[in-house]
Amino acid sequence: MIVLEWLFLTISPCDAAEPWQLGFQDAATPMMQGIIDLHHDIFFFLILILVFVSRILVRALWHFHYQKNPIPQRIVHGTTIEILWTIFPSIILMFIAIPSFALLYSMDEVVVDPAITIKAIGHQWYWTYEYSDYNSSDEESLTFDSYMIPEDDLELGQLRLLEVDNRVVVPAKTHLRIIVTSADVLHSWAVPSLGVKCDAVPGRLNQISILVQREGVYYGQCSEICGTNHAFSIVVEAVPRKDYGSRVSNQLIPQTGEA
Amino acid sequence: MAEPQPEKTLTLSQQYALEKEDKVGVDTKPVEVKEVENTVNATSEEVVAERDEEPPAASPKESTEVPAPAAEESSDSAPSAVVGGESSEASADAAETSNETAAEENTENAENSSEQEAVEEEAPEVKLETAPADFRFPTTNQTRHCFTRYIEYHRCVAAKGEDAPECDKFQKYYRSLCPGEWVERWNEQRENGTFPGPL
Ligand SMILES: [Cu+2]
Repeated sequence: MIVLEWLFLTISPCDAAEPWQLGFQDAATPMMQGIIDLHHDIFFFLILILVFVSRILVRALWHFHYQKNPIPQRIVHGTTIEILWTIFPSIILMFIAIPSFALLYSMDEVVVDPAITIKAIGHQWYWTYEYSDYNSSDEESLTFDSYMIPEDDLELGQLRLLEVDNRVVVPAKTHLRIIVTSADVLHSWAVPSLGVKCDAVPGRLNQISILVQREGVYYGQCSEICGTNHAFSIVVEAVPRKDYGSRVSNQLIPQTGEA
Repeated sequence: MAEPQPEKTLTLSQQYALEKEDKVGVDTKPVEVKEVENTVNATSEEVVAERDEEPPAASPKESTEVPAPAAEESSDSAPSAVVGGESSEASADAAETSNETAAEENTENAENSSEQEAVEEEAPEVKLETAPADFRFPTTNQTRHCFTRYIEYHRCVAAKGEDAPECDKFQKYYRSLCPGEWVERWNEQRENGTFPGPL
């Protein structure tokens, strides 16, 4: 009972990692849905092979036990079985490869034009986000740093090693272009629920396009070893489109006022 | 480029939208932005030669996006702010698209500046618009995309003068794509005459 209670209590309502989690986080993008589906597809074959191989193995051990079958067989060649065990695995491999490649290529294909561009710039150890679609000069832009909240400053209910001070606000159900780069060393911008993991390389701009299908708060962490505070976090907050508009313009006003 | 493809292609895209209900209803929204961009591209084709390949290359490839060039007949209504609108009604979108394309051709720059003012003055008017996907840069690596847009802008300015309205879109694009730090560095390099690109 305690175990059950403890199991259920750990299920948090947000899209973050849970203690003792074994499966995936809930998908919030078509990409993540595709990844989960592919995983399940492949698992089907995995179990098929596991059962088949175990059966052969156990059967061989059983029937050819030295007490039961003291005179060893001297078969070294069998054309039929060799053809079979070549053809059959290649068919299975094809069944795995086709959906796998389909997903792979559909993931980095940019089908439609994005509605907004957000730049995520990795630093040791925080992310800087730039929203420059609404700029009227080279300098002023909606830019902010997103630091992880240290363990001592956490408030009740906040997630340890996951919460940040400034979340990335994006509109839901909108095509986003995230441009990931770094200002110092390699980082990686990864959010499991969105099915996204993109290396941040200094001097290079990597693009990912995502479509968040539902509003929510999505947690991720840096996923490329980058120093002491590696695994500093990423929080994406998806809001309805109209709220996004007001969020951005509210933040834009003080920014332009300063600049 | 302005081959009129009327409502027929729209219904096609609507059919497509029915297959993937949730997602494609949203797809119609960025489409509108894209087509606007294409039309604008065509107006400034003398500046950068390769740009004018884009509309033909883009429209057959993505058949869902064709409806926009039906713009000729329509006229004047100013483009409404995109943010508040419901994204799911494709037909309303199409009407908006055609209106907007036509309007955009004439008043793109005027609208840009007025939009900027709107952003600063009244809060909830932000237009969701950014640099379109570029067929020259189809990969994950967008480094050259940003760099090219930056160069395109400065070439455009060199050819057309400091505040030529055709160049504004390139400026918007490179601001959207390039990290601010990069732009600052490049601006400095241009002032010192050490900029590494062809200007
Ligand atoms: Cu790291």
